[in-house]
Amino acid sequence: MTEKEKRSFLTKMLHSIQDVIYGMASHDMARQALKTRGSMEHLFILITMGDLLGVPILPPYYSLRLLPYVVPQISTWKRRMLRERDLTDALA
Amino acid sequence: MALVVLIVAIAIVVIGYKFYAAAIDRNIVQANPKKATPAVMYNDGVDFMPASGSVLFGYQFKSIAALGPIVGPIVAVQWGWLPAFLWLMLGVFFIGWVQDYAAAMMAMRNEGLTMGGLAYKFISPRARGILLTFLYFYLLLIMGAFGAVVAGLLANPVVPIGLLILTLAGVLAGQMTYRWKMDLVMTTIITVLIALVGIWLGTTGPAQNIVKAINGLAGTGDKHILYQTPYGPMTWPVFFWGIVALAFCYLGSVLAIWRFAQPVNYVSFWFVALGLIGSVLGVAIAAIFGTTDVAFHIPAFVTWNQPKLGWLWPMLFVTISCGAISGWHSLVSTAGTARQLEKETDALPVGAGAMFTEAILATLAVIFAATAIAKPDGSVIYDANNMYFLKVKAGAVWMYGMSRFLSWIPGISPAMGGAIGAIFLAVMALTVMQLVLRFMRVASAELVGDKIPAFKNPHVGTIVAILFTFLILWTAFWQRIWVLFGGANQLFAGLALLLITIWLANEGKKYAWAFWPAVFMYITTVAALLVVAWKSFQAMTKPDIGAAFAFGNAVAGLIGLFLAITAIVLAYDGLKSLSKARQKAAAQAGD
Repeated sequence: MTEKEKRSFLTKMLHSIQDVIYGMASHDMARQALKTRGSMEHLFILITMGDLLGVPILPPYYSLRLLPYVVPQISTWKRRMLRERDLTDALA
Repeated sequence: MALVVLIVAIAIVVIGYKFYAAAIDRNIVQANPKKATPAVMYNDGVDFMPASGSVLFGYQFKSIAALGPIVGPIVAVQWGWLPAFLWLMLGVFFIGWVQDYAAAMMAMRNEGLTMGGLAYKFISPRARGILLTFLYFYLLLIMGAFGAVVAGLLANPVVPIGLLILTLAGVLAGQMTYRWKMDLVMTTIITVLIALVGIWLGTTGPAQNIVKAINGLAGTGDKHILYQTPYGPMTWPVFFWGIVALAFCYLGSVLAIWRFAQPVNYVSFWFVALGLIGSVLGVAIAAIFGTTDVAFHIPAFVTWNQPKLGWLWPMLFVTISCGAISGWHSLVSTAGTARQLEKETDALPVGAGAMFTEAILATLAVIFAATAIAKPDGSVIYDANNMYFLKVKAGAVWMYGMSRFLSWIPGISPAMGGAIGAIFLAVMALTVMQLVLRFMRVASAELVGDKIPAFKNPHVGTIVAILFTFLILWTAFWQRIWVLFGGANQLFAGLALLLITIWLANEGKKYAWAFWPAVFMYITTVAALLVVAWKSFQAMTKPDIGAAFAFGNAVAGLIGLFLAITAIVLAYDGLKSLSKARQKAAAQAGD
């Protein structure tokens, strides 16, 4: 193993250890924060674009103004709204 | 002997992972790194999010390793350390990793469905209903079993002040991170240091005097007996600190998760990680340099029939659950990990790797227990004159072990080591209990919220769950509750293995490696639950038993019976589905 390979191996190992510690200590926290943000965003889309799922709430004018910002998230939002859930989902 | 056992355990784990698990992953399940996983396909930044294998290994290990791998072996060495060690090794080698890994693969190849959805899809709608009800009782037993351990730990004067300061440090961590937007590294350093100083403060005389004063509030010293139970006296300190532990969980359940549960768990993590690394090194140093006595004082084999716990089969196999196999892991693998795996090939190091690592933690508990038969002051831990009956709470054994194996670190006195051990165990239990109570609240709102709207109120759901826990905690024998919890846990594992078998049969893959473990787990755990139910009903009918204990035994017996019946119904439905899947696979092969 050359010096360069050794260094690269050690760097990789260090990164892995960092990742494992992050996974144990903070991954849940980061996920929870992302979940909270995602849930808020999805709620906002439901309020503004609810008519896409048959829930007309805002007048289409405002929906149309917001549409360009929402487009990238529509497919994941629809999937999340319509996905069947049960209690075991709450553990995720 | 301790070092030999540790080395043998590591060797078995490496062989199991490198050869058996890797071969199944490669040849039967055929994990494909190019196949899109649900985390990638359905990435919504909420439920489905890809993460690297190393991160998920840490996440999975933290989620599965709680009190189970520690308390189970400490109780089980009453049959001898060898049966406990053998079950840990054989269990993890042939069953444990199979469940954790294959549950993640099954969920991943079924669009990230959780256990409820998978039971609905592969068995029947009824199976999902039964599973969810079963789950509530399972969670209740976790609360009862863990709560009893925490109450016993907190009754020790060196523990409560340290735990209180650690909790406050956790709340501060939440405030610093989410409100003051401070750097996480700085937050970690400050709060972990506060927690460590707090633990040291807890061991000092004045702090202990405060706790002793509380412990003596009921009068006649700090061992005041409130009432006698058929299983020994209930002392005021254990009773009082049990209520404090439940209050702690109440806060974790009803407060915003960032405000209490999450940051307290975060600070606790560092503490648990440092304690664990310190004690593993401690065992190695003690064995090599002889700084601490590491000879096994409990015989390799004690008895086939432990008078208080029962026959080795089936009771040992439910007394040790986590470390060998645990149904809880299937919930984590499906609902948590499977929705975050970026590549199918990561399932092996994450699912199987974390399970094998947990077996090492459980082996450490066997070593702690087998080397501790009595304290230097002469107080007995395992009674050699009475079939090595465990005379103290399991937490005390771990505490004593940590006090001995952390003593190599300069500045850690035996009292400090013991306090670290107790807080280590208490935070591990409380971390899970908070999550479980939160989940029970959601479960009760879902299950009965439409019929009784009050259950939709988070406080009502939480209080009802706490009252049930309280009932279990104070009217039943905790070792019996531990076995009931283990039985429910193992049955859940049996169900997960049955689901995996049906999934494999549906896919036309070889399934014997999951089917036979499922059969073993089902038969063993149903037998164990029926034994516990029978013993509970027997105890209930004793003429001299008080009303509370008759009631407590009736509850324990009924839970055991209920779990056994639901398991049989689930097995019936499951085997019908398996038969259909086999016929379908045979027909496809014929085409």
